[in-house]
Amino acid sequence: MNIEPTELEKAVLLKVTGRMDAENAHEFEQACERWITHGTKHLIADLDGLQYVSSMGLRCFLSVAQKLQSGSGSLILCGLHGLPRQVFEMTRLISLFPVFETTQQALATL
Amino acid sequence: MDPPVKRLTLPASAGSISAFSEFVRGGAVAAGVAAHEFEKLDLVLEEILINVARYAYSPETGEVEVAYAQASAHKLRVEIADFGRVFNPLEADPPDLSRGLAERPIGGLGVFLVRSMVDSIDYRREENRNILSFTFPIDGGPSGNE
Repeated sequence: MNIEPTELEKAVLLKVTGRMDAENAHEFEQACERWITHGTKHLIADLDGLQYVSSMGLRCFLSVAQKLQSGSGSLILCGLHGLPRQVFEMTRLISLFPVFETTQQALATL
Repeated sequence: MDPPVKRLTLPASAGSISAFSEFVRGGAVAAGVAAHEFEKLDLVLEEILINVARYAYSPETGEVEVAYAQASAHKLRVEIADFGRVFNPLEADPPDLSRGLAERPIGGLGVFLVRSMVDSIDYRREENRNILSFTFPIDGGPSGNE
């Protein structure tokens, strides 16, 4: 898994590519927490290049979203498709996140 | 005649998951499982093996055996066995998927996802082994109508 951050005016964009599994999911959570500690309110996860996520990854998405929400922020998901989209739908987590096709659409809501 | 069974034994740790995935993928390819289903199979294996690594032996360590065979034209059967304490992950309560973000518990989704992706799954304790046995659809669709 690779995480590429970009600081934008109203949010931080994290482009996540590859596979998020039990061995590396904590890296995503830690990356998000560093931005939260830094004062970031809105994180946009661009998941267009994410091929795989298991329950460990879902835990991390949920935990980060809960932290951001408690500070009136949000974790926004973009580009979900394939298996990652299926697991977000099966677990009904998809209804708990703002979800957009593209990062441009997400940015327009902030 | 019974179909040939392939077996692989490795330490019960997160580090073994990718080797087990590759091993079972060999069977999936041979059986004709569609390529877009491989990640589902990886996920099922990961969720089960992480449970074994965490609960079956902890704090000690041990081994886990994964075996597979083509069960029928439409199903691949996979069995995951360990020698740890009695542990049936299928007894876990189903997660409450209706809660809002703030109240949603962060655990319990692994077994739920496994159940959603396999055709059937069973636990049995045989001698001193925990055996979790599942069938995975080869044609990508439900295969319960044979």
